[in-house]
This record gives sequence, C-alpha cells and structure tokens, in this order.
Amino acid sequence: MSTTQSGQLPPAGKRLHIPFGLTLVALLVVLCVLLTIFTDSFMTERNIPNLARQGAMIAILALGETFVIITAGIDLSVGAVVGFTSVIVAMLLTNGVPIWASILITLAIGVGIGSFHAFGIVKMGLPPFIITLATLTSLRGIGLLMTNGATISITNDSFTEFSRNDLLNSLFGIDISPFDIPNLFAMVIVVAIPAWLYLSHSRWGRYLFAIGSNAEAARLSGVNVVRTTYTAYILSSVCAAFVGLLLASRIGIGNATQAEGWELQAIASSVIGGTSLFGAVGSWHGPLLGAFILATINNGANLLNVNSFWQRIITGGLIIVIVYFDQLRRRKR
Amino acid sequence: MITASPTHAAGVAAARVPILELRKLDKRFTGTHALKAVDLAFLPGEVHAIVGENGAGKSTLIKLLTGVHVRSSGEILWQGAPAHITSPHDAIALGINAVHQEVVLCPHLTVAGNLFLGDEEVKYGMLQHRRMVRDAQKILDDIGFNLPAGGMLGALTIGQQQLVATARAATRGTKFLIFDEPTAYLTRQEAAQLFALIRRLKARGVTIVYISHRLEEVFDLADRVSILRDGELVSTSRIEDTDEEKLIRGMINRSIEQIFHKDVVPFGKPIIETRHLSGRGFADVSVSVREGEIVGLYGLIGAGRSEFVLSLFGREPATAGEILWQDRKVTIRSERDALNLGIALAPESRRDQGLCLNLPVGFNINLPILPRLSRGPLLSGRAETEHADRQIGDLRIKTASRNAPASSLSGGNQQKIVIGKWLNHGAKLFIFDEPTVGVDVGTKAEIYRLMGTLLRQGAGIILISSYLPEVYELSDTLHVFRGGRLAASYGHKAASHEEVLTRAIGV
Repeated sequence: MSTTQSGQLPPAGKRLHIPFGLTLVALLVVLCVLLTIFTDSFMTERNIPNLARQGAMIAILALGETFVIITAGIDLSVGAVVGFTSVIVAMLLTNGVPIWASILITLAIGVGIGSFHAFGIVKMGLPPFIITLATLTSLRGIGLLMTNGATISITNDSFTEFSRNDLLNSLFGIDISPFDIPNLFAMVIVVAIPAWLYLSHSRWGRYLFAIGSNAEAARLSGVNVVRTTYTAYILSSVCAAFVGLLLASRIGIGNATQAEGWELQAIASSVIGGTSLFGAVGSWHGPLLGAFILATINNGANLLNVNSFWQRIITGGLIIVIVYFDQLRRRKR
Repeated sequence: MITASPTHAAGVAAARVPILELRKLDKRFTGTHALKAVDLAFLPGEVHAIVGENGAGKSTLIKLLTGVHVRSSGEILWQGAPAHITSPHDAIALGINAVHQEVVLCPHLTVAGNLFLGDEEVKYGMLQHRRMVRDAQKILDDIGFNLPAGGMLGALTIGQQQLVATARAATRGTKFLIFDEPTAYLTRQEAAQLFALIRRLKARGVTIVYISHRLEEVFDLADRVSILRDGELVSTSRIEDTDEEKLIRGMINRSIEQIFHKDVVPFGKPIIETRHLSGRGFADVSVSVREGEIVGLYGLIGAGRSEFVLSLFGREPATAGEILWQDRKVTIRSERDALNLGIALAPESRRDQGLCLNLPVGFNINLPILPRLSRGPLLSGRAETEHADRQIGDLRIKTASRNAPASSLSGGNQQKIVIGKWLNHGAKLFIFDEPTVGVDVGTKAEIYRLMGTLLRQGAGIILISSYLPEVYELSDTLHVFRGGRLAASYGHKAASHEEVLTRAIGV
C-alpha cells in the first residue's frame, strides 16, 4: 500500500495570517517614527502636508495602474498621459474655457487614450507593454508639437489655488491650516472610495481578477473579456488624466515633458503594495500605501540630506526587498 | 543475454531477460488509484502494445516510466536491476524515451536545432549551424523521414512535427521507446514512415511500447499486447493468440456499469438542432438535443466531434448548414452569441480553460452568476458566501474553505467546480467535453448525478467522451463520429459496445 502520497489540502487555519496591508501600514509608521526621531524637520506643519501632496499624485496613478496590472496587463503610458493632459488643460484654460468644462474635456481625453490602448490590445492583438510603450513616447511628442516645445503658464488663479488649499478651508472657509487635509490628499480619498467599491464589492472588479488569472476560463464563464479590458485601461488613463489636472494645478504650468518616469513610480508603488505583475493579485489599498511609503522615503532622504542619486538606488533596492518578502509569504501558503 | 541480437522471433523473445520489468507497480493520486499493482515485463526488441480505455492507467504508466511521476510503491527493474526513476533525466539516462501525443518542441528553432537541442555541436564556443543541419538531414534520411532539416519546426504540419519528435527520441541512444497515440495527427504517408521506423528500431533491438486506440495498427505492429482496465492489468498475450473482439472485451469494464446512474427525465421541447452543419474538421452533421436529453458524441481523436461542438459554441463558426435554437434559425458567430443564447461549455482542459486556479474556490463557483449575486452595482457579500458555501456543500467539494485557491483541490474536486458552477446559472444547453478525465470512480458518479440535476431543471446536455462506457450508458442518443462525419446514431443502449467501437474505429 502506498504511503508516500501526501495530502494536497493545506492545513486550515494553522498559520497566523497577517494581512499584507497591515505590514505595509506598520512599515509606513516605522518610517515616520524613525524620521521623527532622527530629523527635526519631518514632523512639522510644513513638511507633513507637503508629503501628503507629494504622495497623492503617485498614489492615484498607482491605483489606476493596479486595475490594469490585475488583468495581467501593464500601462507604461501613465506618466506621459499626465504630461500630455497638463498641456491640454493649460491650453483650454488659457483659451478661456471654463474650469468645469476644461476638467471634463481633459478627463474625456483620458477615456479616449484608454480606449485606444484597449483597442490595440483586444482588436489589434498587440501586447499591453507594446501599445502603451508606443503611446508613452508619442503622447509626449504630440504634447510638444501642440505647444511647440514651450511651457504654457496657467493664469487661472482659482485653478492653481485648489492644489495649495486645504479641504475644509476651500469647502467651508474654515482655516485650521496645519491640521486641515490638503486638497490633493483629499483627492486620493475621492478616487479611493469608488475604487474600493469597484474592486472589492462589484462584479466588474471580480472580472478583472478572473481575466488576470485565466482569461479563457473567464470568457467561458460568461465574462465579457473585451468590455472588462476596456474598463481597466480606461480607468488607468482617466486616473492619469486626473493626476494631469492636479499636477497642472500644483505647478501652474502645462508641459508635455512633466511627470517623466512617473509610470515606473506608479508601477513600483503598486508592486510594493502587493500587486502581482502576473495578474489576479492586488488590492485598492496596497498601491496607496506603496505610494506613500515611497514618498516618505524620498522625503526622509531629502531631509537627511541624502544625495538624490542615492534615493533612486534606495528605491530600487526597496522594491526588490519588499517584493521578495511578498514572494516568500506567498510560497509558504 | 541482451547483446544486440537482431533476431526477434516471438519464441526467442520469450527466452530473453526483460529489459524492463514492473513488479507490483502502484500509483495513487489524492483521491485516485491510477495504477493498481501492475506486473509487466518488456522484452528487448519487441513491440509491446498497450490498449485500454481512457482512464485505464496508460498515461500514468508512461509517466512513471519516463520519470514525470514517481511511483507510490512497487519496483521497476531495468535490465534486471532495480531502477530509481525519479525525474525525466533519470529515464533518459537509462535510455528510456517517449513520443507524446502533444509535440513538446521549440517551434521557432529549425528541425536540426530541435534534434540537437541540449546536445548542440559546438566549435570554439560557436554553434555549428551548417554542420548540424547537414548531420540532422543525414539522420532524417537515414531513418526514412522526408523532412527538411534546415526548415523551421513551426512551419511544418503537426504530423511532421510529430515525426521530428520521434526522430529526436529515437536517436539518442534510446533502448526503450514509448509511443503514445503517435498516429492521431499523422497522414497516411506519415504513418507509413513512422511504422517503417518502428520496424527498423525493433530490428536494432530497441524495445517499443506502442499505445493506440487504433487496433488495426496494434495488429500490424505488435508482438505482444497488454490490456489495462481501471488501473489493473487484465492480460498480456501474444498477438497471434488474440483478436480484436477479445481486446475490446478486455478493455470494457462491466463492473463499472453500476456507477452510471442515469436519471430518466421525460424529454421536453427541442433546444437545439443542426441541419447538415459543416465547418472545419466536420461535415454534414445533423443532430438535435431536447430538454432533459443527453446526447453523447463518441469518436477517436481527430474524428471531428470537438470541432463540431466548438462551432456550436461559436469558436469556429460553421461554414454551411443551419442551426435552429428552440425552433428559430440562428447564427452563432462568437462565444458571446453562444452564451447569450444559453449555451455553456465545460471545457476539456480544466487547467487551461476551466478554472481561475490561483483564485479562491468560492470565486470560481460564483463567477458565472455574479450578476445575480449583486444588488444594483454592488455585490452582496452575504449572498456570495452563502451561495459558495451552499454549492461546496451540495457538490461535496472537499476544500479547506471557500477561500482556498482552486489549485489546492484534487482534480476531481476541481472538475466538480467546473461543472457545478453552472448549476444555478440557468443555461439551456450544456456541453461537457470529457467531463470525467482523470477523475476517480466516486467523483465520476457525483458528476453524473450533477448532470441529472441539470436535466431535471429542463436543460439538455451534449456529452463528449472518449470513454465509451460513459457515453454509452448515459446517452439517450449516441452519435458516433468518424472522419468528420456521423458514422452511426443509436438510441439509449441500442447497440453493443462492440458495435459502437467498431463504427468509431472503422474496421
């Protein structure tokens, strides 16, 4: 009789299961505590809102990127979309288009770019890497062509005012300055709540995971793979267009070369947040935490006067370490 | 002794020491007893055919000999000494090679590149492309394969690729060569080239294990034939001492009939009807399925039944003929069309097409009916967990929890999900493609019970199976495919097993 075959079912509830998200929160807290101890300038009323603003834009970008990565795709164009849409909104505003219309048109352009990506993937059969790499370079080119390489200054004060202001102050005129939530950070929440509902509590979110795990099985189960793919890439591009608006508001200019390399930061944030580049693994909160961990490290390095070249090296090392530990954790399960 | 004596008369073979001997070879998978204490000896220079129904343990046997799986108990003796075959590398080192049904080569390399893969000719660290092509051509000409050594493998037909795989397996100091259904994709000429090679290898003293459903090939090539059934060795006999009828009787298991519990459901209205439907790989097929009816499709690999069914599912639209869906003429151009009509497909390959393996059991169960578990745009968490738990209970799926990944389940339990997830979906026509491949007897019975449940809900089922007892016992109407056409149609158990098999094989 055979005895060598071991059971395949994992022992239930034997191992203490710590959610990955909690580990990330702990890491973020540890970073903040360490920086508070070792610098005088970290926990200050100037630095914390600044950090919140810095992290916010990458966080939104990373969240959009995560939808795509969960389908086992990739969107390399998001940085270029940010730069391109900053040009669009700047041109609209300088030409006297009202703010609300400028915002809607810019977001609509995000929809268009995302649809184009999905079209390339679904109908033309291009790999996501290729189609989004192509738009990465060409969108910057189009933006530069439109402006002839120049930078467009935004003179609309209420538009630029938004990114410097805080939430309660701009809504109700209450000024509790250092303790208020910066508007840019509030935008993370505005994006995160629907993202949470979509990803964790709607069937369309489930379909993203199903496609990322096994597109064939998903299709045979009645999932509309084409529509779901469109949704993922459109969401990613719309998030990027939204960040383009925020960036234009923050720096007061439109320039197609802005946000260089942000796609990599967004992907890194998402991956640090536990998203698997093989698809079907990811959450709404992971990329947000990942983005703020990266922002805190960069901020801390600045305050500690670490050479900015070193910051890049540290970020790279951190990605390897965190993802390696995540891999170990998964393998054990 | 095994000193290469070119004589191979059966009388002499019987006196020789076996090159490979199995003693009480046993293999269990979780929930499946695939091979039950098999004793079998292979003599040097013989062609030994192994026949048996699907699931009889043939492929498990091959995998044990080629080191893909490791035996649970028993012994493998190689030239009289115990052999430890724990990896494909061990098997190849001994001189055991196999030609599998599916080609596992690199389509982007040349034929020569594939022949020498892992064993390239190198000079000063540089690949000797031209010399390899020259040498490969010599090898191919030598064994009588009419193939271009310098051509890309991917540019060849599946049959030609199969020959390349054969050439590769035959030319690496192989003493023991296993063929698993080698002629499934071959043309007549290619098959002739293959048979010629097998005879030459045999003359050189190579032992050939030949696995095929095509009995005429077995009688053409083999010296001895063994029958496997449900993991057990039924008999081994010299080819002169047996005939097709005896083989078929040995392959079919009578005792298993009890598990084919068939619900008798009164037939309702017609669901689907094809009229002279033709497409790639099949022609002029007219069948119909009514509510409460199981329509079985039987045939050998390549007989056209899968192609026919995939056209019903919109994968490869039919080119001629018509499809009536509930008495209305329809065209099915895409899978989406099929799903919208109410056709569901439980595909043959669980791993590739049936499941999101790294996602939870509950996720997979709920996937087809998420719209119904939603209230407005949002999913109801409670409805989700309730439905998943209820299905896990009803289907008796053995899992640690609904949150365990589907990959952690045994094959049988995975298959229960693939089929069971449709129970509450409300589709009208179910296509089950080989629903019980690699599934043990107990789970098979449960899957048949599930089918009964679907029938009582007013659905119709198209059942594709290479396992004759299954289609035979379960089908209300049984269609036999051969060469892309309907070769015969029978009512429930209206013909004998022997007749059905005879029609499918075409002897």
